[in-house]
Order: sequence, then structure tokens, then C-alpha cells
Amino acid sequence: MQEAIVFSLNVSYGIISLALLVLGLAIIFGLLGVLNMAHGELVAIGAYTAWAVQSAGLPLLLALPVAAVAAGAIGWLMEITIIRHLYRRPFDTLLATWGISILLREAIKLCFGLEYKSVIEPVGGSITILGADYPTYRIWLMVAVVLGFVGLFLWYRRSHAGTRVRAMVANPMLASAVGIETAKLARRAFVLGAASAGLAGCLMAPLIRIDPYMGVDYLLSSFFVLVVGGLGSLQGVFIGSGVIGGAETAASTILGGTGGYVTVLVISILFLWLKPGGLYARR
Amino acid sequence: MSEPLLKLDRISTGYGDLTVLRDIFLTVAAGEVLCITGRNGVGKTTLMRLISGVLPPQSGSIAMNGQDIAPLEPHARQHIGLSYAPQDSVTFAPLTLRENLTLHHKDHSLDRYQGLFRRFPRIEERLGQVAGTLSGGERKILAFCRVMAEGGSLLCLDEPTEGVQPENISHMAEEIRAAAEAGRGIVVVEQNLSLIEQAADRVIVIDHGEIVHQTRNGPDMRAEILEKLKV
Repeated sequence: MQEAIVFSLNVSYGIISLALLVLGLAIIFGLLGVLNMAHGELVAIGAYTAWAVQSAGLPLLLALPVAAVAAGAIGWLMEITIIRHLYRRPFDTLLATWGISILLREAIKLCFGLEYKSVIEPVGGSITILGADYPTYRIWLMVAVVLGFVGLFLWYRRSHAGTRVRAMVANPMLASAVGIETAKLARRAFVLGAASAGLAGCLMAPLIRIDPYMGVDYLLSSFFVLVVGGLGSLQGVFIGSGVIGGAETAASTILGGTGGYVTVLVISILFLWLKPGGLYARR
Repeated sequence: MSEPLLKLDRISTGYGDLTVLRDIFLTVAAGEVLCITGRNGVGKTTLMRLISGVLPPQSGSIAMNGQDIAPLEPHARQHIGLSYAPQDSVTFAPLTLRENLTLHHKDHSLDRYQGLFRRFPRIEERLGQVAGTLSGGERKILAFCRVMAEGGSLLCLDEPTEGVQPENISHMAEEIRAAAEAGRGIVVVEQNLSLIEQAADRVIVIDHGEIVHQTRNGPDMRAEILEKLKV
């Protein structure tokens, strides 16, 4: 019984943490059509921010706004200098952001070196759920992410600003004609996506290995989620994370790490082949 | 003499190296309804895209109330009073009708639409429905309502009657006349002669990217237009 509960919590954690990591990429890809190859490096910047803040003897909570601002600022710089000139040119944005990812990775190496870093969990110990012990920080993280997603969903569906974003995504030309400054809105969406990536890296930092190459793995997982879930909706992010995160956690438990990775790869290939729009394509 | 509401002076535009409209000169005064007609593919929609700012000019000038608006993006033109309903993709398909109508009004109020709802009750009945589920004619009416209530001084409507039933076309013509009498300038690209006869003060016929005929609304207008539309 306890093993089943721990297994269920592990699957939930796999899904929710993946959704958190994908969110920034989904915002930028889904709303702006930009395949941000530097997404993983923005996650890494968030994680390194957490390490730097903790190393300076400051509370880890302080790292959250710092990580969001640092990654958001880099996103802003990327958008105003390069990306805004390349909207509606998917191959060019892919190449440009790939170049930026290399630049960011080298900058990380220069600033922090090649060795692994680790961050201590701000909330230690474990919580007993139905007789099974589970790390407190993971539980806290899952609750915070679910609440964050609910808030973001309500903002997107109910707020005036969210409606304007949906209008821009649905019909950019008409959005501009009704007075929406689409260029400014696109910049804000890009910065929000970048800041989300930084925030995800910061929140995940105590649970992952931090090194300059960590971004590559997260980029791949994020793409798999978007392939399965579909583009342009929070529902798609959660469904994709559910399939990929759930399958990887379950397969890894039974078949080991390599088996989990192969399972995810096979699922993604099947979706690309049989259902290229994903399970929840934007309507 | 005061400046016209809209003035295009020897303006040319097109797509890339292709010039679609050449040396167009036209003016629209406040309180005037100018209808633009012509056969398919002669540049009518291109002219509307130019006026709304979707398409930049290749040469010539475009001014609104004497102000050069060539450098302004569509959203900036909307802010100075130009309201535009394009020919295609006239609504935000995933948004509800209510969201489509209130998107550009911070107060989210539908009060300004009450008169239009009396003319087009189907719109009010379906406020909670997403626009993507409407028929082509209903989408046109929705876009028409949005533009009429937007409060702009210059209204640009590209083929507003496409797919709309005759009774509603008459309602549209009445709304256009009422807006003109309230002092707004209106440019309508239209092939429906019924609406032109009911609403226009002046008509321009375009062919091969040039203005080939201009006339005022009167007893001979229909015959003149039909003569110019002959292939």
C-alpha cells in the first residue's frame, strides 16, 4: 500500500515538475510561434541564481524574484535585439535562439565553472501521507505549482489582459486593427516565458543536479511535452506533462532510466506520426 | 478650408515588388460615405489595407485630419480614430461575442451596442457563444457592430455585406447613414449595389489598380457603375 502511494506521488511529482519546466517554452512557442532553443539555459540561470543566493547566506525564498528578474531580463534583451526582427520566420528564430543558448551556456561556464552545484532544500524532512513518508519540499512544490497554474489559467481566461493576449494569438492583424499594440504584447509574452523558465529552474534547484549542460535535457523533455500535449494552451501543457512525465516515471521505475527515456522517445515519435497536432491543439 | 478627414495623394502600394494600386488620389470628408467598388482582384481590399495601416505605401502620402499617418501602425491609427473591419478573418474566432465586442473597451460595457442589438438581435442572443461558431454572414454583422460602436471618426468597412441576408443589409445601410449624419466619415468597399444605393454619397470604381470612374449617388449611378464593371 505504502509503495503504491509513494509511486503515485512520484508520478504526480514527475508530471507537475515537468509542467513547471515546460511552461516558459509553451508560452513562447504557443503564443508567439518562436521555438526558443535557449529555454533550457534560462532554466539553468534560475537554478544557478538559487545556488548563488544560498551561497551568499541569504534565504532561498529571495532567489525566486531574483531568478525571475534575471531570466526575464535576458528574455527582454533577446526579444528587443534579435527575436522581434524574426517573428513569423520559424527557422531563423530556431537558429538565432540556438546561437543564444550556446552563448548563455558559455557565460554560465565562465561565471560558475564546470563543476556540479547543489542547493539545500529550504524545507527539510518529510510528511506522512496515508502512512507513506514523502519529502516535504516536493509536496510544497507540487501544491505551489498547481496553485500557480490555476492562477495563470484564470488570468488567461478571465482577465482583460489575458483576453487581449488570446485575441493577438487568434488574429494578430485584427488585434492590431482594434488598437492592441501587438509588438509590445509579444515582448511581454516573451519576457513572461523567459521569467517562467528562470522561476522553474529556481524552484527545481534543490531537487536537481546543477551544471552548465543541464539545459539540454530540459529542452528535450519540454519539446516532447509540447509534441504530445499540443501548442498554445495550458491544458495542453498539463496533458502533455501527464503523458510524458507519467510514462517516464512509471517506465523508469519498472525498466530503469534508459527504459524510461526510450519510452518517452517512442511516445513522441508515435504522436508526431499519428497525431501531429497533439492531444489538445489550440482551437 | 478645413482639411478632409482622409486624404490619399498620388499614393501607390502593393506586395513586395508588385505594385497593385497606382497614383490613387481620393478624399473623404467628415459626414460623407464613400463607396469603392470594382471587379474582383482589382485592388479594393489592398486600398483598405493601405488606409488601415496593414500595408505600407510605396509612394505618395496619406493623411487623416491633415496629419501624416503613413508611419503609424494599425493600432496607432485606431487610437486616433480609424476603425477598420477587414474583408476576411473579421472576428477573433476563439473569443466569445461579448469578448469580441468589449475587447477594446476597458469598461467592458455593452451599453454602446444597445441600438445595434435592436437592429441585429441574433448578436445579443449569442453573446456567450464563441465567434468561430457563427456563420459567415453573422461574423460580418459582428464585425460591423464592433466598428460602428468603436467611436472612431473614420470607419473603414471591407465588403461588410458578404453573406449577409437582404434585410440586414438594409439595417447596415441605415446605420451607415446615421453614422454619417453624426459627422463620421465612412469608406465602404462593396460590390452590393443595393447597399451602395442606400448608403453612398459618392462612389469610386477601381479597375487594374487605378480609379477609372467617380460619381455621386443619383438616378444614373447604377447604370454608370454597371457599365464600368463590364468585363
